[in-house]
Amino acid sequence: MRSNKFGIRIAASALALAVSCGAHAVTDEDILKDAETTDDIVSYGMGLQGQRFSPLTDLNTDNVKHLQPVWGFAFGGEKMRGQESQPMIKDGVMYVTASYSRVYAIDVKTGEEIWQYDARLPDGIMPCCDVVNRGVALYNDKVIFGTLDAKLVALNKDTGKPMWIKKVADYQAGYAITAAPLIVKGKVITGVSGGEFGIVGKVEAYDANTGDLMWTRPTVEGHMGYVYKDGKKIESGISGGKAGQTWPGDMWKNGGAAPWLGGTYDEETDSLFFGTGNPAPWNSHLRPGDNLFSSSRLAIDPDDGSIKWHFQTTPHDGWDYDGVNELISFDLKENGKTIKAAATADRNGFFYVLNRENGDFIRGFPFVDKITWAEGLDPETGRPIFDENGRPGDPLNSEAGKGETVVAQPAFLGGKNWMPMAYNPQTELFYVPSNEWSMDIWNEPVSYKKGAAFLGAGFTIKPTNDEYIGVLRAMDPKTGEEVWRYENPAPLWGGVMTTAGDLVFTGTPEGYLKAFDAKTGEELYKFNTGSGVVGTPVTWTMDGEQYVSVLSGWGGAVPLWGGEVAKVVKNFNQGGLVWTFKLPKDRVAAN
Amino acid sequence: MKTILSFLISVLLSLPVVAQEVNDGDELLNRPADRTYDIVLDSGYLKVGVYRDFPPYSYEVDGQPRGIDVELGKLIAQEMGVEFRVHWIIPDEELGDDLRNNVWKGHYLDKQRLADVMMRVPYDKQYAYMQDSTGEYINEQVVLFGPYQQETWQIAYNPEKLDTVDTVAVFQYHPIGVEIDTLPDFYLSSALQGRMRNQVRHYPNVRAAFEAMRNGEVSAVMGMRAEIHHELAKPENEAFMQAQNGFPGLMKQVWDVGMAVKHTHRQLGYAIEGIVNRLVTEGTLSEAFTGMELAYSVPGYYRDFLSEEAIAQAEGQK
Repeated sequence: MRSNKFGIRIAASALALAVSCGAHAVTDEDILKDAETTDDIVSYGMGLQGQRFSPLTDLNTDNVKHLQPVWGFAFGGEKMRGQESQPMIKDGVMYVTASYSRVYAIDVKTGEEIWQYDARLPDGIMPCCDVVNRGVALYNDKVIFGTLDAKLVALNKDTGKPMWIKKVADYQAGYAITAAPLIVKGKVITGVSGGEFGIVGKVEAYDANTGDLMWTRPTVEGHMGYVYKDGKKIESGISGGKAGQTWPGDMWKNGGAAPWLGGTYDEETDSLFFGTGNPAPWNSHLRPGDNLFSSSRLAIDPDDGSIKWHFQTTPHDGWDYDGVNELISFDLKENGKTIKAAATADRNGFFYVLNRENGDFIRGFPFVDKITWAEGLDPETGRPIFDENGRPGDPLNSEAGKGETVVAQPAFLGGKNWMPMAYNPQTELFYVPSNEWSMDIWNEPVSYKKGAAFLGAGFTIKPTNDEYIGVLRAMDPKTGEEVWRYENPAPLWGGVMTTAGDLVFTGTPEGYLKAFDAKTGEELYKFNTGSGVVGTPVTWTMDGEQYVSVLSGWGGAVPLWGGEVAKVVKNFNQGGLVWTFKLPKDRVAAN
Repeated sequence: MKTILSFLISVLLSLPVVAQEVNDGDELLNRPADRTYDIVLDSGYLKVGVYRDFPPYSYEVDGQPRGIDVELGKLIAQEMGVEFRVHWIIPDEELGDDLRNNVWKGHYLDKQRLADVMMRVPYDKQYAYMQDSTGEYINEQVVLFGPYQQETWQIAYNPEKLDTVDTVAVFQYHPIGVEIDTLPDFYLSSALQGRMRNQVRHYPNVRAAFEAMRNGEVSAVMGMRAEIHHELAKPENEAFMQAQNGFPGLMKQVWDVGMAVKHTHRQLGYAIEGIVNRLVTEGTLSEAFTGMELAYSVPGYYRDFLSEEAIAQAEGQK
């Protein structure tokens, strides 16, 4: 007779394990339906389209004043800097990343840590783009994120132990990953971040279960894409057809165009949408041509990585208007028709409405108060009409000395930088976190690099107004009108979320989580989290109550740049916390 | 007991390899040691900051640091009566970043690590006293001192492809290799109204550009003179020639190269300056360059006050 005591125990625990796996596994269906399901958040963007809209109405303009903190969770350690992550929620567990490629699993009921994973970064790593991370992806039993040394890491969701680690690109060549990966049809889709020079951007798909590479798509014209089948690497077409059409010489070989902010996905058109960064080198006079596919939006086929269409916001970019901004799919209801549209607010200061089926330009308009580098957009194509006096000069053509200073607005940090906007299908408005600043650019008369004489551009960022830099705007995609605005002293650097309760949430570098009336812009709620908010808020329900979470921790690119903006932000302290709030049940119907 | 033992083992293991990096930062407070002149002497070593993988200035052969900047660092350490310790520098986008990461503040991912002195820092008053838009001195945290070499640009070419390089205009028709994101890259991509642009081929470094010249991809290579000479001295490159052309429209044709210390460590700077001054004027540095088959030019700094004879001596032409 066998020891039944022992046998029963094994059977019972195996059963428990099976149940827990079944109940907690994140499926493709969960991710596709994320925007509709309010008890979890399993995609970056609160839905793959990236609208950051929640249909929840428990929390609304009448009762948001009763929103109260439930717990705070400190990331700990001495590592602070910017906390730009968006939390994910599944079955009572929050999965969130922090600066320096750290991941945490937190019990949402108590705020207690379940596990922590610190990516071991190589000695001597010099990340191009600050040490931020914007979040994880969830799939099956895995928590997947990208690291500063350009790897994808899949962790077991229960233990935080690595299940697979894949090198996406070589950090020594200047690559990193800071964006949250995207999961579509069982594939982890990621872009790469890169320094200014020598890199070539790419979007890649990996098998979420095994980490095997499935396809790769370079984002610079002239580079071959590949699909991988049964261990074989098969050519799948050169991006843009062939090299040398929009780049001089061999510059396409190092063209930049890093899709560093990740992407969105639209199921109706079965397209991934990725924005691409600025072309290299910085001095646009060295590279006449449009320099495709820099500063563009690409629609990519998730099955093989082929490019369906592209739309370039800043051809021949000379201002570092790094066009990575998210493209959000939405239904544009106009003249009795519903158009499958998508919108993006570009670093260059223009807001674009595109047809997401084919990339056709529908309309575009400034979303910032002033644009100096272009006189407007071609009404047919959306191509900018350049103001040739607005382009920084070629350092090599200037005599010794500073040369002429060119003022460009917006500054290179953008009318809107990385921080995601939100779309509310009820108000039919986009809520855009933006900044009003300009930059002076001149040719640096004396500059050195690696022991050698060099030619650099000098620049400084200046606030346009004394009273404020940041502007949260409600923009109407049909008319281009600004319906309301909220002005903030410091530059806005955090993402936005909106709800069916007619609320718009965002954070400020001054430390506040704020809520506004989605229709009027009236400020209805604020709570100081202790450090600047540069993360993106989320909302969900648990046990019949509506929760809101946001990260607190000042950093990102703003404090890295001095000039006159530094005066506004120099006293903000760093931090590293997740704050979670809820509306208590008895306050839902409160007056 | 176990920790003492492992400490002893690690000390013993590190003893024979004097040239390895030393970590003397404060682990508890996560900041670099404040190594003033007296502390450097007491510690018995000098941490010399040099760029990694940057021949002929500083590079590694069989785990040992080599190159002209390394040799000068060793000479300085020897004169100070301390051991030479290498501090490798991974170059950032421009000099100001390297000074911040390696001389006065430390890199934010590696805060305990600073060099006592950094080599190959251009000695340029205009750079040293540069002000930002609010009037602050940008480089006030460091002292630039001790110019020890004058550097310039140079082209090497393949005589099978080009009879001669009298002017850069030939590169409207012949491909030329450069290190990406350097002044030669910008110059050849922009000068002559961009007419050479389509012939510019980009490589990660001068060594790779020479390899491309051997493969016939390019007919010439432009880089810093010492880099070019270092390549030309290799047997595989013996067919290639040094060009005599000028660089019209190139603003910075020559520049002095010196060193940097943190501004609170001026006393260490004065001591090193005295040593380097002697090494330059007595011709010791010139000998070191010649020993590595490199040409040596005395910095412009010395040309203002040394006699012609003294300059000839410093350049090894007695």
